[in-house]
Amino acid sequence: MTDDKDVLRDVWFGRIPTCFTLYQDEVTEREAEPYYLLLPRISYLTLVTDKVKKHFQKVMRQEEVSEIWFEYEGTPLKWHYPIGLLFDLHASNTALPWSITVHFKNFPEKDLLHCHSKDVIEAHFMACIKEADALKHKSQVINEMQKKDHKQLWMGLQNDKFEQFWAINRKLMEYPPEDSGFRYIPFRIYQATTERPFIQKLFRPIASGGELHTLGDLLKDVCPSAITPEDGEQKTQVMIHGIEPMLETPIQWLSEHMSYPDNFLHISIIPRPTD
Amino acid sequence: MSCSMAGEEDFVLEEKRFKQYCEEFIKRSQQIGDGWEWRTSKDLGDGYLSKTHYQVRNRKIPPDLKEKNHDNCEQMLCTHVEESLDDSQAAGVCATEVIHYEYHVLYSSSYRVPVLYFRACFLDGRPLTLDEIWKSVHACYQACLLEGPWDTITQQEHPILGQPFFVLHPCRTNEFISSVLSSSRKHDRHINYITLWLSTVGPVVGLNLPMSYAKLAPEQDTNDDSVERQRVEPHEAGRSAQAPSSAFGLGHLNTADLGVHKF
Repeated sequence: MTDDKDVLRDVWFGRIPTCFTLYQDEVTEREAEPYYLLLPRISYLTLVTDKVKKHFQKVMRQEEVSEIWFEYEGTPLKWHYPIGLLFDLHASNTALPWSITVHFKNFPEKDLLHCHSKDVIEAHFMACIKEADALKHKSQVINEMQKKDHKQLWMGLQNDKFEQFWAINRKLMEYPPEDSGFRYIPFRIYQATTERPFIQKLFRPIASGGELHTLGDLLKDVCPSAITPEDGEQKTQVMIHGIEPMLETPIQWLSEHMSYPDNFLHISIIPRPTD
Repeated sequence: MSCSMAGEEDFVLEEKRFKQYCEEFIKRSQQIGDGWEWRTSKDLGDGYLSKTHYQVRNRKIPPDLKEKNHDNCEQMLCTHVEESLDDSQAAGVCATEVIHYEYHVLYSSSYRVPVLYFRACFLDGRPLTLDEIWKSVHACYQACLLEGPWDTITQQEHPILGQPFFVLHPCRTNEFISSVLSSSRKHDRHINYITLWLSTVGPVVGLNLPMSYAKLAPEQDTNDDSVERQRVEPHEAGRSAQAPSSAFGLGHLNTADLGVHKF
């Protein structure tokens, strides 16, 4: 029987084989070879693609290079979403490697946030963690931590250090002994087909009678169309970290074990493949 | 930066109550022609307050630099450039910029407070950068914003529209709102949370509430029809050197009490 802690490691070390290709209209001095990279599911595009940037900048003139951005099949990829979420949402049922197009011009101002430095990623990451703790613990745990603890969470993510990260993050996964779980579960549900980027609502992990709410309960409450079969057939998949957890899974357990480092459960609702 | 939401039981703004305050606020806005409206999202029925306005700025372009690149000069689209008539300044030109601002007020269920989202662009559609927005912030607020810009205004994805907006960080909202609200309730005065909050945080990002939002409500009566309105002359808040007065109905409270907040 696998230990629950193994799940934490499996989530942390998940990787997606990716092929980066330079956009054909970028001006180059010679042919740009594609660049292959294993992307960490739990990280962010602009945090882990320095080598990609360097590789393509070698064949371009300095004046042709401005802020890098990524696109998949015409859709600009939001760097502030974790990589695993982007893949599950846009490309999970397509053949590997994941083919991403790299751009250095015409930044899509209406679609993407700017990311001029690592500080922007850190600020975004920490803001998510703080919001998650506001939901779980009324911000008490995150506020009790020192600045160096906050820094350790970020450094753990940036340097891919599981132990360093979880030494602090485990405190964010605790709850008072008299409670059976967090106050509210930090989660976001994404569907590529909607204008709304995600659904986020207040949801308690424990019912009034003390029973544990499940993933199915959450979906029924917040996004019923995701699990109501049309014509008796389940048209969608509910995906977290590339897998479909059973709908009977307690949401408290999912929150503790399958959240991203930002402490949110990022859940994708995607079309079920027909074959 | 810490978010101090814990502590004593502060006033907590529930989403339903937020919507009620917004409704009341919109009614008042319609009465005085301030242009706020409610937008409902088609799928989930939640919504937000929205207002658009145009800001006209005169920007002096130094003569020797008007041809060269100067900071963002080459990117500034000047809709109208005139020669200065003053001989002593004859070497310089004055450019008029028109900036389109959009303000949205959304409810954050995570922090239980309203959050101000905004974006701005020139008439040609080019959006203002965060730097350009900071520079346009009223001088008296710039000092506190410069201490830690990342804690105050950041670019974020609009939770309903999915597009990039700038956001005034909501973390400290509850601190100053609670103290004013509890004091007002002691005096049985009705305060609209949105008017109070927006009149305090709005000016930081160029959004001013006309003084007409302020009214003296009689004790325990929140009915508009029976309110004796204290007529106040419209106040040019944007240009003065002092912090603009907040437009809410507590005569004895002034902005000195609230201070200029580091959000």
